Amino acid sequence: MWLRFGVDIGGTFTDVVCLNDKTGVAQIDKVLTTVEEPQNGVMAGLASLAERGARLDRAAEFAHATTLVTNLILEGKGGPTALITTAGFTDLIEIGREYRYDVYDLDIELPAPVISRPLRFGVPERVAYDGAVLTPLDEAAVRALAAPLRAGGVRAVAVAFLHAYANPDHERRVGDLLAELLPDVAVSLSHEVHPEPKEYERISTTALDAHVKPVVRRYLTDLVARLSAAGVGCEMSVMLSNGGAASVETVTRYPIQIIESGPAAGVEAAAFHARRLGLDPCLSFDMGGTTAKLCLIRDGVAARSKQFETNRVHRFKSGSGLPVAVPVFDLIEIGAGGGSIARLNDLGLLQIGPDSAGSEPGPACYGRGGVAPTITDADLTLGLLDAASFLGGSLALDPEAARGAIDRDVARPLDLSPEAAALGIHNLVNETMASAARVYCAEQGEAPMNLTLIAFGGAGPVHAVGLARRLGCRRVVVPPFPGVMSAFGLLVADRAFERRGAFRAVLDAEGFAAAVARARELEATARAHLPEEDGAVATWHAELRHVGQDYPLELRFSDGAGGVEALQAAFAGAYRRLYGRVDDDNAIEFASLRVQVTLPSAKPEAAVLPARRGAPYTSRPAVLGDTEAAIDVPVYRREDLGAGQGIAGPAIVEERESTTVLGTGDSLRVDPGGALLIEIGSVSVQPEDATRPEEYVDA
Amino acid sequence: MHDAVGLQITWNRLISVVDEAATGLVRTAYSSVVRDFHDYCCALFDQDANMLAHSTKTTAGFLGIVPEVMRHFVQAIAREEMRPGDVYITNDPWLASGHLLDIAAATPVFYDARLIGFALCIVHHYDMGGRLATTESKSLYEEGLKLPILKLYDAGVPQNHIFQILRANVRMPDRIAGDLRAQIASNNIAAAGLERLMADADLADLRDVGRKIVARTERSLRRKIAALPDGIYRNEATLPLIGGLTEPIEIRVALEIAGDEIVIDYEGSSGEVDAALNITLNMTRSYSVYPIKLALDPGIPNNEGFLRPVTVKAPAGSLLNCRPPAATWGRTIVAHNFPEIIFGALAQAAPDRVIAACGSTPLAAMYLSGQRQDGRNFLGLIAHLGGFGGRAHSDGPHCLGFPYNVANIPIEVTEADAPIVYTAKELIPDSGGPGESRGGLGQRVQFRVAEGDHAAKGKLTAAIRGSGRHPDSAFPVTGRFGGGPGRGDHLTLNGTEIPHGVQHRLGPGEEISVGMPGGGGFGNPLDRDPARVAADVAAGYVSTTGARADYGVVLKPATGGVDQAQTDNERQRRRTDA
Repeated sequence: MWLRFGVDIGGTFTDVVCLNDKTGVAQIDKVLTTVEEPQNGVMAGLASLAERGARLDRAAEFAHATTLVTNLILEGKGGPTALITTAGFTDLIEIGREYRYDVYDLDIELPAPVISRPLRFGVPERVAYDGAVLTPLDEAAVRALAAPLRAGGVRAVAVAFLHAYANPDHERRVGDLLAELLPDVAVSLSHEVHPEPKEYERISTTALDAHVKPVVRRYLTDLVARLSAAGVGCEMSVMLSNGGAASVETVTRYPIQIIESGPAAGVEAAAFHARRLGLDPCLSFDMGGTTAKLCLIRDGVAARSKQFETNRVHRFKSGSGLPVAVPVFDLIEIGAGGGSIARLNDLGLLQIGPDSAGSEPGPACYGRGGVAPTITDADLTLGLLDAASFLGGSLALDPEAARGAIDRDVARPLDLSPEAAALGIHNLVNETMASAARVYCAEQGEAPMNLTLIAFGGAGPVHAVGLARRLGCRRVVVPPFPGVMSAFGLLVADRAFERRGAFRAVLDAEGFAAAVARARELEATARAHLPEEDGAVATWHAELRHVGQDYPLELRFSDGAGGVEALQAAFAGAYRRLYGRVDDDNAIEFASLRVQVTLPSAKPEAAVLPARRGAPYTSRPAVLGDTEAAIDVPVYRREDLGAGQGIAGPAIVEERESTTVLGTGDSLRVDPGGALLIEIGSVSVQPEDATRPEEYVDA
Repeated sequence: MHDAVGLQITWNRLISVVDEAATGLVRTAYSSVVRDFHDYCCALFDQDANMLAHSTKTTAGFLGIVPEVMRHFVQAIAREEMRPGDVYITNDPWLASGHLLDIAAATPVFYDARLIGFALCIVHHYDMGGRLATTESKSLYEEGLKLPILKLYDAGVPQNHIFQILRANVRMPDRIAGDLRAQIASNNIAAAGLERLMADADLADLRDVGRKIVARTERSLRRKIAALPDGIYRNEATLPLIGGLTEPIEIRVALEIAGDEIVIDYEGSSGEVDAALNITLNMTRSYSVYPIKLALDPGIPNNEGFLRPVTVKAPAGSLLNCRPPAATWGRTIVAHNFPEIIFGALAQAAPDRVIAACGSTPLAAMYLSGQRQDGRNFLGLIAHLGGFGGRAHSDGPHCLGFPYNVANIPIEVTEADAPIVYTAKELIPDSGGPGESRGGLGQRVQFRVAEGDHAAKGKLTAAIRGSGRHPDSAFPVTGRFGGGPGRGDHLTLNGTEIPHGVQHRLGPGEEISVGMPGGGGFGNPLDRDPARVAADVAAGYVSTTGARADYGVVLKPATGGVDQAQTDNERQRRRTDA
């Protein structure tokens, strides 16, 4: 039992990775995702690995990530789902926050709720904000719902009452009644799914959780059975949206928590490399065909959020989707991928995306019917990509089509050469990502120039050095397997689970003692979701804010003497770091608590590269941006490089799924574990202190 | 680098700098008016006070105001007097944004020891003293504290007496001061971002970039205007009686398209009123240019350039260009109607660019105040919105604001802060105005004043602005091109109708019910695809009765499917009757 398997089902490809703990050698395959029965793609990928010796009966670990939940919501394929809520409030799920996410769009559309009016039922009951019962639950009214629920063919029911986070008794009772009346129907209770105030977000999340529950349950049960039949003897784990892996049983109970499992696994991998290489802070930079995703990693831990959106009407417009209140990594997604389309806008200025040619029809150079110029077309025209060896040569690119598209849509209208236009496209997409990164870093209170970029995805290593230069970052890392980072990330994640709880109290001795008591309860609930092994570690986190504010800051705390003062000081420090000031005259209060329990897993040892010096296999003219003129750039194969080898830019390093580009003055060193460590020669930004300018304090 | 790339890169940076500043503001603000109502703006200017960038999130009410505010600051304070660390403020309705509650704070930005521009942040504060929320004030002096243009910080030194005066005049001094500090922090973030941009892009000043940005924006809008047929297009409206008014307000607009320019003239509209409904020209301009941008060139960025091709006029001393000391608190009750009235005129030149009236126009809000049992003051500002108007190619969404943009405040948050208990918040079926494109549905919201352990100390003061736009009134939520009006408005206390916009004192158990109407329909409802009507019935948006009465669609009782023969008959009969 020495093989670790990771399987990541994405929209287009299912990636399978097998890591041999004895040799450190990894085997990788990419097969097409089988949308209707994703299990088939998984088994096909595993069969292909088995042919190369990766036997499933030697599996010590089997970890999984999937887009299943997102797809089910997008296509509304979770089956008929009902909502039971407080009478008088059945439409809250549809009324939403009543907010125009785009104040200039008269044709604005909002996403349809996952449960429509005919399947939404109100029952008399009411709880106040402090948990007091104002109207007892009308149990007869609940029993009377059995008939319409059966008649509607309902397979899942979401139960979400007002203030249920403060007093879950009514929801629990309805859960019991439903179990008795409709034993085959899946049930999600809002106080379990998201035990915090703000009813729309909680109702929406609970409805989505219920909607996907029956299908996720069936899928996981079937996959486990097929794996077992194929010889897998270990338990399967599934990646959660905030990293960490959970058991099939836990995931079946809270299926909405795996909604972002694939991207989370990629971030886990980046965080793993950050820790292994001792780099801090880092920015994970994943640039694929349609988007670029960024996530801050501090102290080896990725930034987190408790809110996510799915089913957006406009993919890159926040507020245009259905809210999902689950723990997630705090990723930003930018409409900047290899397929993003370049054009001149109404103002006569170059614009990139946010629309993408994707993989079908794809960039003009794919020759699959795409005619619009894209980032990939620009990169090819600049000589950064090789027409013959793209994706290991399995997709021959057409440089003339790329040039022609750029010439027609961008270069000629601006009276530029195709190369100059391509360079403009390349630079502008880098600036688009840099601008988004700056706002994101500001939200996180981190100065971009202190970051190391960890670049992956097909286009990430192509653009990483340019992005780093614009942000003022000094270092870029391209880890091994940049094309299958998520599948790799599955193999390095710990087992983990977290529970949140609403908790409101002023931060004083009494409030702190109550917080400690509440955290202990949450810890016990969270621990129940992990294997009963020694070594599980719990961390407590409090969300704090000044009384009267809405946005809290999360800080770690623990029991013990001086706890109150320590937490007050930590809050003041974090607040000052983010906002440059402290509102001393306003009291601090708890907004909620979170407890994370983690069972660390043994991490794989990467194979050590032999010490050798790989020579360039060729050279080609490329425009690297220092000048608009092409220079002759040496090109290396990544598999030829040896441990400790140094390369001075300009240089290009090619591998099957990606290409790393170094500019003049940049230098690269090959880590013995296989990562490419790049030092940026010149940056366009002067380093500076991370903190905000001090605000002048008023008395 | 070519302008098409280099300018775009610098421009993107300017917008990201101002959005960074807005993020800092929202995260540290105390007021839900900032967090949930987005009633703020952050903007960047060059040294000549030309607006270059404006935060992406904002309310439309600031669009025409912001450039003027900054010009007033630089007129009042000589550039030679400006020092790094200065902050200037004002809430003068004529200099800033039309009522005392908005404080504008401007910070000069220096680079290489030279003044290169300004950061500005305007926030709608909860309270500025005075009578609080009511249309009953007859002059500005009843409405609270007025701050002329003042240096709040002089070269980094806080002018504490100003903070002291402010704190002494407001009901919740900690929150107001906290929000003002958030504005200053936001300006500091913008200033730091601007300085970084200057260094990265190797710029000496912002003039050249600013000139190009503004010129390209202006050119884009002028091209769109030039494509419309020249002419003078008119519209008018009589608004419902509000508050203490004895005569209804009349709005008349003449929209003249001449070549690549538009003149919007409100000549003939009502004069000033003895109620807090008067509008400064700044504010009139904002809500007049916004619909032009929406209809003609929604994608252009917010800067000086999109204001230049549009001239907004109203006679001095009239309701829409009022003079001191007119009372202005509730100016949006009138001004929110301008886009709809302008759309009525513009529809004659560009019929497919406009939407039907929205049931959410103007903003209907509830202002609740009083004391909790623990002695703490509470102040609630709550909005629930009617339906959006039908569009040329799609139905209006339910419950969405126009032309302002506010999010509702969650019931669970409100109930924890103010002693009320909601009893219903539901869509109103059949409230969407019938049309080929249906108006979005409105909603019914009910709450009662908390009782027993949760009751307030004493009575709760509630000023409630509902819609008042009844289909039979002088100002219904009109449909366009044959579409019917939105329906469902009402405002009752314990089941009895009450007037809008005046204060009521409510005791435990008393119940308010507000009906926010649906949006107007767009196009003739008899032209709506019967299958879409059947789908609306299945979804619970339209009743079977409504399908027949409003759309002439007859459904089969057994299946809910369309009875085509009967529907054809019914529609034929209606067309003949008409």
